[in-house]
Amino acid sequence: MPENSTPETETPLEASVETAEETPKVKKPRKTIGFYLSSAWIGFVLFLATFGPWLPGPAWDESFYDSLGVAPFHHSHILGTTMDGYDMWAGLQHGARISIFVSLIAVLIGGSIGSFVGITAAYFRGKYDLLITMIFNVMLSIPNLVLSLALLSVLAYSDEAHPVSLARRVTVLIVSLIIVIIPILGRIARGSALQWGSREFVLASKSMGSKNFFIIRKHILPNVAPAILAIGFLAVGSVIIVEGSLALLGIGIPGGASWGSMLANGRGNIEFSPHEVYLPALFIAFTVIAFNWFGDYVRVQLDKRESKI
Amino acid sequence: MNIARQFLRRLVPMIAIVVIATFLLSLLMRLLPGDPAAIMVPNSPQEVRDQIAHETGLDRGLFGYYWKWLSGVLTGHFGKYYLNGGSREISAVIKDTLPITLLLILYAQIVALVIAIPLGLVSAYKEGKRFDKIASAVLFTTVSFPGFALALIFSLVFAVKLGWVDPIGYVPPTENFGQHIKLMILPVMSLALGLASGYTRLLRTDVIATLKDDYVTMAASKGISNRRVLWRHVFRPSSTTLLTSAALNMGGLIGGTIVIETIFVIPGIGFEIFYSIGARQIVAMQTLIALISIMYVFFNTTVDLLTQITDPRTRERRA
Repeated sequence: MPENSTPETETPLEASVETAEETPKVKKPRKTIGFYLSSAWIGFVLFLATFGPWLPGPAWDESFYDSLGVAPFHHSHILGTTMDGYDMWAGLQHGARISIFVSLIAVLIGGSIGSFVGITAAYFRGKYDLLITMIFNVMLSIPNLVLSLALLSVLAYSDEAHPVSLARRVTVLIVSLIIVIIPILGRIARGSALQWGSREFVLASKSMGSKNFFIIRKHILPNVAPAILAIGFLAVGSVIIVEGSLALLGIGIPGGASWGSMLANGRGNIEFSPHEVYLPALFIAFTVIAFNWFGDYVRVQLDKRESKI
Repeated sequence: MNIARQFLRRLVPMIAIVVIATFLLSLLMRLLPGDPAAIMVPNSPQEVRDQIAHETGLDRGLFGYYWKWLSGVLTGHFGKYYLNGGSREISAVIKDTLPITLLLILYAQIVALVIAIPLGLVSAYKEGKRFDKIASAVLFTTVSFPGFALALIFSLVFAVKLGWVDPIGYVPPTENFGQHIKLMILPVMSLALGLASGYTRLLRTDVIATLKDDYVTMAASKGISNRRVLWRHVFRPSSTTLLTSAALNMGGLIGGTIVIETIFVIPGIGFEIFYSIGARQIVAMQTLIALISIMYVFFNTTVDLLTQITDPRTRERRA
């Protein structure tokens, strides 16, 4: 995950307060071209993922034997076909469905569980907090790709005696990614909640006799949420990378059903039909970059909000 | 502060984490459906399976198995690959593959720093100018560009289209150094570009802060050339964060090289993990993953400790 400190995006509000110092340039916060480009790309990919099956065009799992490995800009296959005759555009469309939804679902569920556990740990402290921190540390002690590799190869184990369906593989993949996401977002949530939990308004609310979960919901969660959201966008990018890596290693989703899987299939044909490799690679890269830009934008907005308080 | 005491205070949770993590790995391996020995050696007679189950402790319960594995690792008996008659020792495999991975990581770090240091210094010096803006935008894009996508596009362009280097393979440096470097260029670049972007951004931030210090103005006003001020007076105090982060990355990179090693067919430890998963060698898988986690935790704790010892400021901040 990229570093959280881009100086050009630092909030100028603090600077305007301390005018005695040499005046740093006060830049007007504005939406950059990067923001518009990445929102457009995310919108485009989400559109493909949602409405892909209803868009006109060839089916993703139908092989066209009369046009094997044609280059992009062919009259009936706009982005060409693979060496096995599968239409690239249809594949990317269908791949968006799995790649994006798997990542979004994993980050959504993993993020929710992680945030809940992290926030409650920071709020209640004591032995519960120690236990949770220990669990997070154990989970973070295995690099996340290695962890999901181990989980997936065991939980989606398949051989002649134990065949595994695509649906089960996708489910197991999502579960593995959730397990990977929980400690990452959980630690962020815990760190942020620790700061907010010691604020005066929390103490005030406590002394007025509010129930614990009311305080968490009303006072802590709204303040912690932006930080989690910003990291969540970055996490979507990381999860897409992990999904692609797993597919490349041959233990993700098979059969060209996701972008990573298309890459894995096309790798052997790199010499004859390079578009089989660079198209899914670029789709993955653009999506990851777009989510990172977007996450960074969210973080900047949040920084501004925080410094106002 | 007593360094030895500090080290001990870190050591206990570190060992606890490693023990729990490796125990959970054992648990995970036992979740495989069916007879583990049969998974490792398919189509083998029952006696062979029983023999393997006894050797690895797979015939005992979960705790028995874990204890057998742990005591084996602690006494240097790492177990075997049970495929093809079980002649391949895991310890020998680690001895062969780990140096290659470490070499790959070392090259990647060096290349990343060589790119990042001048770039970070110059963009900090030209803060807000066009050079800085372009560099920032490009770096933000490359930092999030997935390494494997970069690797595939590199091998497509430089190996397949231009034919400058071979797309896959590895030659040890002792055998043919020129060929070794030639084959390592693409994997190293795929790893290094992402790293370099992160490092540049870190260094840029620190250098901008240092440039505002009085002694820099002082040095400049004495008439020392800009280049010398940047290198001698600004770079050195600004490099702490950069070097810490580079050291912390070592652990993560050992895990991150799996895909790169697999794409470029480099016989490192990442490739070996990939192979042992494909060959369903449960014991090898568990040992290699455990090794990576141990190194990861050990690296991070040591670096953390070293920075606290060498830079008292971090100690104060944390206290």
